[in-house]
Amino acid sequence: MKVKESEYLKLKKPILKKLLEKLLAKYEYASILANDSKSTNYRVSKTGTNISEDGTLSERGFCVKVYDNGKAAEYSFSAIEEDTVDAVFDEITKRLDTLGKTLPEGVTAFGFDGVEDEKLYINESTEYEVDPEEKGDNNIIDLLTRISEKGRAYDEKIIDCSVAFSYQKYSKIFLSRNKDLTQNVMWSCGYIVAMAKDGEEIQNGYKPVSMLGGIEVLDTLESNLADACKTAIELLSAEPMIPGEYDCICEPDVTGMIVHEAFGHGVEMDMFVKDRAQAKEFIGKQVASELITMHDGASTIPQVATYFFDDEGVAAHDTIIIEKGILKTGICDAQSAMHLGVAGTGNGRRQDTTRKAYTRMTNTIFEAGTSKVEDMIASIDYGFLLCQASSGMEDPKNWGIQLMVDIAREIKDGKLTGKIFSPIVLTGYVPDLLKSISMISDSIEAGGTGYCGKGYKEWVKVSDGGPYIKARIRLG
Amino acid sequence: MKDKIIASLKRLNIEEYIISITSYKSAQMFFVKKSLDCKRAENTKTYNVNVYRSFEKDGQKMKGNSSVYVYNGMTDAEIDASLSRAYLAASFVCNPTYDLMECTENKFITMESDLFNYTLEECCEKTAEALFAEDNREDVFINSAEVFAYESNVEILSSTGIESGYTKRSVSGEFVAQCKEPQDVETYKDFRYNDLDCESLKAKVRQTLEYTIDRAKATEAPKAGKYRVIISDSYVNDVFSYYSGRAQAGYIYAGYSTFEVGQNVQALNADGEVAEVKGDKVSMTLVPTEPLSYEGIWQRELELLDNGVLKTYYGGLRFSRYLGIEPTGFFGCVNVAPGTMSVEDMKKQPYLWVVNFSDFQMDDFTGHFGGEIRLAFLYDGEKVTPVTGGSINGSILDSQTNMHFSKEIQKSADFVGPYAMCFEDVPVAGV
Repeated sequence: MKVKESEYLKLKKPILKKLLEKLLAKYEYASILANDSKSTNYRVSKTGTNISEDGTLSERGFCVKVYDNGKAAEYSFSAIEEDTVDAVFDEITKRLDTLGKTLPEGVTAFGFDGVEDEKLYINESTEYEVDPEEKGDNNIIDLLTRISEKGRAYDEKIIDCSVAFSYQKYSKIFLSRNKDLTQNVMWSCGYIVAMAKDGEEIQNGYKPVSMLGGIEVLDTLESNLADACKTAIELLSAEPMIPGEYDCICEPDVTGMIVHEAFGHGVEMDMFVKDRAQAKEFIGKQVASELITMHDGASTIPQVATYFFDDEGVAAHDTIIIEKGILKTGICDAQSAMHLGVAGTGNGRRQDTTRKAYTRMTNTIFEAGTSKVEDMIASIDYGFLLCQASSGMEDPKNWGIQLMVDIAREIKDGKLTGKIFSPIVLTGYVPDLLKSISMISDSIEAGGTGYCGKGYKEWVKVSDGGPYIKARIRLG
Repeated sequence: MKDKIIASLKRLNIEEYIISITSYKSAQMFFVKKSLDCKRAENTKTYNVNVYRSFEKDGQKMKGNSSVYVYNGMTDAEIDASLSRAYLAASFVCNPTYDLMECTENKFITMESDLFNYTLEECCEKTAEALFAEDNREDVFINSAEVFAYESNVEILSSTGIESGYTKRSVSGEFVAQCKEPQDVETYKDFRYNDLDCESLKAKVRQTLEYTIDRAKATEAPKAGKYRVIISDSYVNDVFSYYSGRAQAGYIYAGYSTFEVGQNVQALNADGEVAEVKGDKVSMTLVPTEPLSYEGIWQRELELLDNGVLKTYYGGLRFSRYLGIEPTGFFGCVNVAPGTMSVEDMKKQPYLWVVNFSDFQMDDFTGHFGGEIRLAFLYDGEKVTPVTGGSINGSILDSQTNMHFSKEIQKSADFVGPYAMCFEDVPVAGV
């Protein structure tokens, strides 16, 4: 079934068109993004049960963008009615005219020579099998409770098992002089976090699921329960890593973190505008092994960051960033594209309508290769299988890697020994790691239970993943 | 809208609820080099309604809750539908019963701040002016910056008679400093002040520019091994979050934390055994950054640790009720007593002083802390060398009995405490 269009936005659209008309009479460019989004989180653990709307993802809001003599300005608001169009217009112009009258010494306002607004019409919806609202909160909580209780009974060392489900269903419309866009999207995700305790130390095993769609995402969650519990218990006896450079096999979620954190952030082209990304100097050059082809795009794969147009009214793309090891291009929001004189790639995203749009990743992956995972492990004399990615931080300027994974499983003479090390910090220089990739498995997995920030804020839903990869990595 | 929500709650016979109404106004400026790239203004209002439902299950009294957002422009029918769905959802939330916060005193207050002397636009512009005031060198400069001035107006209404609120202003933002020679490097910093603290911001910019010059000279990573590690600035606050994290009522109730009131929690090792604290002892006070919590708790300062000894648990309503302690809400600021050692004293022995991580993590579950080193100063007993790369991989459980805090302090909106702290024998992954 297709996600239905918001009745609220249908009612507001003619009112927003009136506001747009007034704005276009004053400014050379004006657009309005409207969002009606509902996101609910369900979580069950030993500490209790929670059902709540997500404050970050749920909103009914509007964002106006104008170019005034080429200078960009935006205004966010949360209410408009037929009889308040003039008042909203007056408030927008008053607030935007006042701000920036006084600038720091030596600072000027940047103005573009012209703003393009290509003709575009979109009205699309994603598909789902079962709407969480139709499934009913009681059935969702019953399922999560059953899994949580089973997890808590798995072993006496398991002190809690948190099981969660969340979804977002949103409708967006984007209006400008030449654009009339509507999209209706729903994604869902869930996870199990099993917590094991020994003395003062607590470790966790984490198993996520995610998809573009509805509550059918939970069909596979329970089958991951035993793995989550086993991992948490195993980690209690993990040894600290002996720092060094090793041959490593990365599971798809660790590959995904490398794709996203280590490389993806470096090709966000708003960083090119600021001269903050080394990748700008490497377009057309080899940055990775010839085995590597990397994509990003809202239309690359059906996952949690799939949409039909971005928050600046640019149609979704599937951008090939690296092709056979050669860096082809970055990804771009509309204003950065104007700065750089290139076409936007549909990557202008806002956390919500109260936030600025930045260049953001969507669904970011490495393509599959031809190797079998067992052959990859068998090829290692001494090294590690890296599992359970936990966090990472970008460094577009210097292409430094900082990634954390929870588990390194020891491999000796081509076999897993059962010995594990934790926690693990991956460091090094991004192109060195990517160029060292020597084997890639023959299928990919991607997921997106987490959020991506720009620096330390501006959270948006993303997915990432890829195949198992074999690489030489510095671990600590 | 407020009246419409209350009328709907009455129509639906929802007897227990908390309504949070939050209005935001903001002025925002985004700079690339010496250009204003975009400016933004905001005027939004959100209504969050948390409904509670009492029922019995297996002979035990339960109280479930569920929260939803109600939006401007919603009809009575839409509000009824949204709240009744939330009320139904609350009946599936099987949490042991507890009482909502009683109304002790109703008032609306404006938090003291000199930011109220100006318009929001002026607050934003004056902060930007302070930010760029130090950007006057040729060898290092501000690459990009974002500046925000916020006014939030929060109103809490509850079925227990709470009808209170506050208005608060703040300025915040972030900037990236860049130095191109001898190598092209950058440093990220963020800031947040509840006053127009231009001098603190200027000092932060000045120091960040200096560190960025040092980082441009750093080429080598430290050798792998164990080091006497010094950290400073906001990373010190991150380390102390271990104690505030583990003292939360929610952690105690769930058994995630074994902290006990009256126990010297700083003396615990990884096996839960007590060791002698040879270094500085932690004395910590939690300070609210908002006067009223979203559950209607009037917040006040709370002494958490005295010389390593836990004085109290703290937390939100439900877990505090379960533990039989006074609900305190959560705290946005931590005060930690400084140590007796100066930073110069700390630097008398060989050290690795990390002044910038790419991302510092303190895991209050495992006790691990660390991150990749963006810039550190390595003193081998003879000379000081700027280094970059490698990572710290420490454990508070291994380090807490022998750590030292500087007597020099730092102040920000979320931390007042030692400027620096020092740990012995911390594993470092290097070359």
